[in-house]
Amino acid sequence: MKRKAYGRDAGLSLRMLLTSVLLGLLYVFFALVLFYIFNAGLVLMLVIVIGMALFQYFTSDKLALRASGAKIVTPEEAPKLHEMIERLAAMADLQKPRVAIVDTPVPNAFATGRNQKHAVVAVTSGLWERLDEKEIEGVLAHELTHIANRDVLVMTVASFFAMLAAFLTRIGLYSGMFGGWGGNRDNNNSVPVWLIITLVSVVTYFLSWILIRTISRYREYAADRGSALITGAPEYLMSALQKISSQMTLIPQQDLREVEGMNAFFIIPASVKKATSELFMDHPPLEKRLAALEKIAREMGRPVS
Amino acid sequence: MGLRDILSGRKKLKDPARERLFAISTARITLQTELDLKPSGSAGVCFKPLSAGEFVRAENELQQLLDAVANESGSKVERKSDEMGFEWLVVHDQDFEDLVATSHLIAQELEDRGFGGQLLAAVFPFEGKFKEGRAYWIYGFKQGSFWPFVPTGKGQERDNPEEMELKAKLDPELPIEQDLTRWFGLFGAPV
Repeated sequence: MKRKAYGRDAGLSLRMLLTSVLLGLLYVFFALVLFYIFNAGLVLMLVIVIGMALFQYFTSDKLALRASGAKIVTPEEAPKLHEMIERLAAMADLQKPRVAIVDTPVPNAFATGRNQKHAVVAVTSGLWERLDEKEIEGVLAHELTHIANRDVLVMTVASFFAMLAAFLTRIGLYSGMFGGWGGNRDNNNSVPVWLIITLVSVVTYFLSWILIRTISRYREYAADRGSALITGAPEYLMSALQKISSQMTLIPQQDLREVEGMNAFFIIPASVKKATSELFMDHPPLEKRLAALEKIAREMGRPVS
Repeated sequence: MGLRDILSGRKKLKDPARERLFAISTARITLQTELDLKPSGSAGVCFKPLSAGEFVRAENELQQLLDAVANESGSKVERKSDEMGFEWLVVHDQDFEDLVATSHLIAQELEDRGFGGQLLAAVFPFEGKFKEGRAYWIYGFKQGSFWPFVPTGKGQERDNPEEMELKAKLDPELPIEQDLTRWFGLFGAPV
């Protein structure tokens, strides 16, 4: 993690990073306290983990829509957008997803929903206004590929195992340490054991968090490739990505701060400056995405101007 | 959609299902006798064009395709594009069976040239009692099935009761898409 260059965006990225980490720590800590106090067993732990995963999975569309302030629009309200998505979905052999618009000048888009039936594709009004049609198609095809690839399911499963790993490590230590001492909670040694357990959970969580981010980046490449397939024209997605990322750095910080919470879902995260190393990013850096798309374009047997 | 597709992401588009296109040939008789619908004498094959970088190669391929189709059938074929940026090959033929055969030939030629995944739909307009004058049968190449499309002529409005009636009448005879959410319309189809 680089700590220099505390530019505005770098600070934002760092805050974001810290927020995510803290959120995770909170989860683990919460579970630790719960199990320590109530001395809960493996069954209860599994129930809680599965419950959290299921909640996340089944409410993904509603949560994402609410967090981003996206509004579902009817074909009458946005006929052109609906028609575009309808045709691209047909090309991808998908059911037509619901369509939503986020009223913000930051050009971006996201897809969510656990399956085709519950899928939503949302675009920001900024995207619709600033990109031309072919570029919007490229972005929409990218989002539709997220739906086709079942990315909400994949990420839920990925996070599930991360949570479980964190809990299991803790349980292993718990039984190992406490088992040796007969599980006496009033023992004077219980405080350092507590610390060890906490540290292990933190490390486990931190590592799995990096892994999840890595998976997320890989899914982005896959969605870019899918977009190239559906539109048959990767160069439009390339120019769209360039436009989106360059315009996002131009927009004042105030706007960026408002949309921060949605980063994992957006096609390009709201802060694109490399304040954090790639390992910690949920989206691959722009240059790498462009390079990958160029490679796809070459494989399709066509030059990219 | 297998597990591999989920794990590594889709790597190709679904190939077109062309064969059931021929089912519309026989369904025409039912359409004419029971619903008084006559073929308009034209049909269209709609596909997503390739990128600008590919323009020259695609142009050559398309010209070859048109020549091949002209040699093999008596139908007249012209190229059009719609406002959504999709390409159309519009077939004109007064004989309905030839119209269907030529549409199928176009799809086959596109697939032979490696553009099968780009095929979206074939459209057969019918004329009859409808307000806007036309009802369409759309064949989705991805699904390999038909569905009716009756625009009212007012914006992007569809006459759903009329579409459901068409479905009910033709259901056993024609392979109709049962998932209604997949009945996408093609407003402004240049056929």
